[in-house]
Amino acid sequence: MLDLSTGRHPAAREPAGSRRAPRRKPGARRAARARWAGWLFVVPALGMYGLFVLRPLALTIQYSLYQWDGIGPSTWTGLGNYATVFSDPALLAIIGNAFKLIVAFSVVPVLLGLAVAVVIRRISASRLALTARTVLFLPQVIPLVAAGIAWSWLLSSTGVANQFLSAIGLGGITRAWLGDFSTALPAVGLIGAWVLVGLCTVLLMSGMTKIDPSLYEAARIDGAGLWREFTAVTLPSIRQEIAVCVTVTVIAALASFDIVYISTQGGPGEATMVPGLEIYELAFSHRQVGLASALAVVLIVLVLACVLPIQRLARKGAQ
Amino acid sequence: MSVQVRASRRRGGALAVAMLGLLAAATACSAPGSPQAQGTAGASAAPATSTASATSAAAACGTAPVTMDAYIETGFQVPNSLMAEFTKQYPNVKWNIRQDQFAVITQNAPRVLASDPPDIMRLPSISDLVKDGLLKNLDGYATAYGWDKWPSSELVQLRLGPGGRPRGEGSLYAMGLNYSMTGVFYNKKLAARIGMTSAPATLAELDQDLAKAKQAGITPIVQFNGGATGGFAFPLQDLMAAYGPPGPINDWIFNKPGATINTPANLQAAQHLAQWIKAGYFEADANAMDYPTMISRFTHNSGLFTFDGDWESGNFDKLMPGQAGFFLMPPAQAGGPHAAMSAPLTYGIAAKAKHADCAAFFLNWVATNPVARTIDVQVGGSHPLGASGASMPAIKAGTVTAQTLAAGSVIGKENGSMDFIANATGAIYASAWTPELQKLFAGKETPSGLLSTVQADYKQELGG
Amino acid sequence: MIGSRREAIIGRALLILLMAFTVLPFVSLFTTALQPSGTYPLGLEWPAHPQWGNFTQAFKAAQMGSLLESSALIVAGVVPVSVLIATMAGFAIGHLRVPGSRLAFLLFLVGLTLPFEGVITPLYYEVQGMGLLNTRWAIILPLIGLFMPFSVYWMRAHFVTAPAELTDAARTDGVNTWQLFWRIHVPLARPAISSLTILLFLWTWNQFLLAIVLVDDPTKRTMAGALGAFQGQWGTNIPLLCAGSLIILVPTLLVFLAFQRHFVVALLQGSLKG
Repeated sequence: MLDLSTGRHPAAREPAGSRRAPRRKPGARRAARARWAGWLFVVPALGMYGLFVLRPLALTIQYSLYQWDGIGPSTWTGLGNYATVFSDPALLAIIGNAFKLIVAFSVVPVLLGLAVAVVIRRISASRLALTARTVLFLPQVIPLVAAGIAWSWLLSSTGVANQFLSAIGLGGITRAWLGDFSTALPAVGLIGAWVLVGLCTVLLMSGMTKIDPSLYEAARIDGAGLWREFTAVTLPSIRQEIAVCVTVTVIAALASFDIVYISTQGGPGEATMVPGLEIYELAFSHRQVGLASALAVVLIVLVLACVLPIQRLARKGAQ
Repeated sequence: MSVQVRASRRRGGALAVAMLGLLAAATACSAPGSPQAQGTAGASAAPATSTASATSAAAACGTAPVTMDAYIETGFQVPNSLMAEFTKQYPNVKWNIRQDQFAVITQNAPRVLASDPPDIMRLPSISDLVKDGLLKNLDGYATAYGWDKWPSSELVQLRLGPGGRPRGEGSLYAMGLNYSMTGVFYNKKLAARIGMTSAPATLAELDQDLAKAKQAGITPIVQFNGGATGGFAFPLQDLMAAYGPPGPINDWIFNKPGATINTPANLQAAQHLAQWIKAGYFEADANAMDYPTMISRFTHNSGLFTFDGDWESGNFDKLMPGQAGFFLMPPAQAGGPHAAMSAPLTYGIAAKAKHADCAAFFLNWVATNPVARTIDVQVGGSHPLGASGASMPAIKAGTVTAQTLAAGSVIGKENGSMDFIANATGAIYASAWTPELQKLFAGKETPSGLLSTVQADYKQELGG
Repeated sequence: MIGSRREAIIGRALLILLMAFTVLPFVSLFTTALQPSGTYPLGLEWPAHPQWGNFTQAFKAAQMGSLLESSALIVAGVVPVSVLIATMAGFAIGHLRVPGSRLAFLLFLVGLTLPFEGVITPLYYEVQGMGLLNTRWAIILPLIGLFMPFSVYWMRAHFVTAPAELTDAARTDGVNTWQLFWRIHVPLARPAISSLTILLFLWTWNQFLLAIVLVDDPTKRTMAGALGAFQGQWGTNIPLLCAGSLIILVPTLLVFLAFQRHFVVALLQGSLKG
């Protein structure tokens, strides 16, 4: 007796010409019970999710429509907080910082990862490559705050970075990288790049190993040079992996909190302030819960606006 | 292929429906926040009358073991030493001490007082905390312990009107472990190198000393301006006091209606600071220097002057004995009055503290017990609170501690004490002064822009 | 042939350079941790008198024992429950295809790219209302909820490819849904489950935002949250801060090195499926 509640995956092979005969009456009650039993399996996950994610999400939207200090009564402001977010130059600059970080968190790791993956293609099974896989992964394993602390010290005025620069004769440009208005944000970007470059490299390396070497042979026979080989064979095959790299790193850039909190606290001035940290400060230090929530909603929408097109592009490419 | 496109379009549509549903649910609910919040300003106006009799140790801290929760600042030994001594004298009282840097305490204060109230806590600016009803009204203790018989200037900065404004009058909402004196410390060895034999008596003389130091290749001023606390506020406020009377500055800090920081005298002060910056009198990485780094550099003879306070005197006497000197910021006019930042080391009791009586007893003990007062001066370097004429330990002549204590009486006589401009509101240091001072140092802000931006932020914080 | 050898040399050089760049901060932490406490050493220099005592001092100051215990408790609270209920939900949505499972799945998808800062403010008031602030439950319960989108997506992706013939056969034998789940499909899902466990372990251990907002006491936080408190308290003493950071890093590193192959595979698959 076939259970009507089990679905069949569209890709699952169906014996040619057979069709599931809907037999309602005899097994209806058992089917119904099985259906509801099935729902019991979803309830715990849905419950925790609803209580600790969906409800707060709805509340964030609600808070954003009020002016509230978190303790006393609140006053309705409608879209006033959103108007502030989009008109206050300081807040706009903060959002801009998140996008600027995308260059360091996303573009650099992806490009570097591609370069490395391409160049080590032939030695990808060697012991060096396997050791590299472990070592390059270390930044992903440690807490981001630890990375922030380590790099804060490295980039300080008496840190390794300046020591290295002096050693190679560039002593003139040494400075406190995280304390200088013009270099603070790129320095934070450097920390993020360090954390993410390993992930992208290993991801792209593993994607490359799945490429059929005969494709390269075919390209070679057709007279393709290195560049054509890259664009015609390599890139299309690892499209999924690249999309993943870009998605993960873009989210890391837009939602960054840990690294900035521990290394610069948004300073000097507001040079490295990012939306994630600003939300935290607005809500818990400045007691402006409404404005913080509006910024939070804007951040959520921005993340979606950046991630969905990437996913769509990747899926389109796969077809 | 088409199935996927159709599915993703349906997925997108369903997502939109889900989000709209959330939005509808959100707006339909009642407004956040309670209309009758626990501890509004009105509720905490009435002082606790039951504490009138609880002034003995047995009544305040009991005889059973008690663990007090203290949230204090890192880098300063005074509270730790005082609490250790208190436990020695009252063994049933133990301390659970949590320490954080000043900027972190400033950030955490509202949240910690509301959700995890300590019994005693180092407080940054208190007006916002009083407005939200987070601090205990100490009037009852003040009457019971006789704090209101002390010189009024000691506690005036800790008094607030209902709702947290204005400051300088009204109920007492915090106490101090001591009160500080600030000014200019100098390195005697480096001073001798440029022929500086006595403290400069006018601002012009100070400028000359700075120029001489720069010419001799000595860093004129070691001053921190990094992280979340812009230390250039010290020289700025000292310059403000050199150019104008302290009264208007105090009015602004105390949130008196109509007060402004953007005055002609203050503009001159900011311009003077900008001149010092342009002349290269500060270290190149000032914007990345934090307070402990400044102390470390100064005590390692890396600069001639530093603008700091007497909480560091004990440290200077220990790390550079006989090598450190102190003078009050000289006025612009010869023979003019002196002014200096002098504020209590603010410690308060959370409104919901579990052991408020014992905390108040401890605060009183710090100001009245002779051993505590000695610790205050020797470890902290600052003058304890308390009645005038209360016991003071003997200070060795020639120490910088002796100089800072002596300066206190000058300021007292000339009525020149000010609170710190960083304390005007809860957020003004982190959100206005620090970024603006850092920009001024980097050449990205003008003196008048600095003052007008800070004033605008001030008005927004008070009005909003 | 020469081209490929040159490629191999360039490749090796690049890898070595990248590895050096990756390891540099750890080395810097280590050499600084050995400097005398309270000093500001210059860059990378091996100290004249290595202060191994800094590690003991940092261990005591950070209360490492309590920290390890606290993090372990939080992981024990979060990971098994999350994996179990996510597997159940993924099974129901991906394999049983219960009615409305598409809607449920879409609901989970809403949270997939959600940054935690987006909900941290109401979460604080919600946890405060439950009276759980400053307890480990303040981290455990919200984390379970916040991990659901990814975990359900992950397990569903596995169950969608689970063979239906097994289910059909089992149903014919009269097996009820729970037995079908526990006896038949869970063992099949072991690779997916173990990968998810590793991922959630890592993300819980390194959770920072929830720890610093919802819990004040460092000994009730995660390791990463406690490191934040450690930096707040000792941040001005650089050698001590470096020593403390290293000590707090070590457990994760050790676990990673022990299970490195599983880790890497899990993280790669996690990113690909996400």
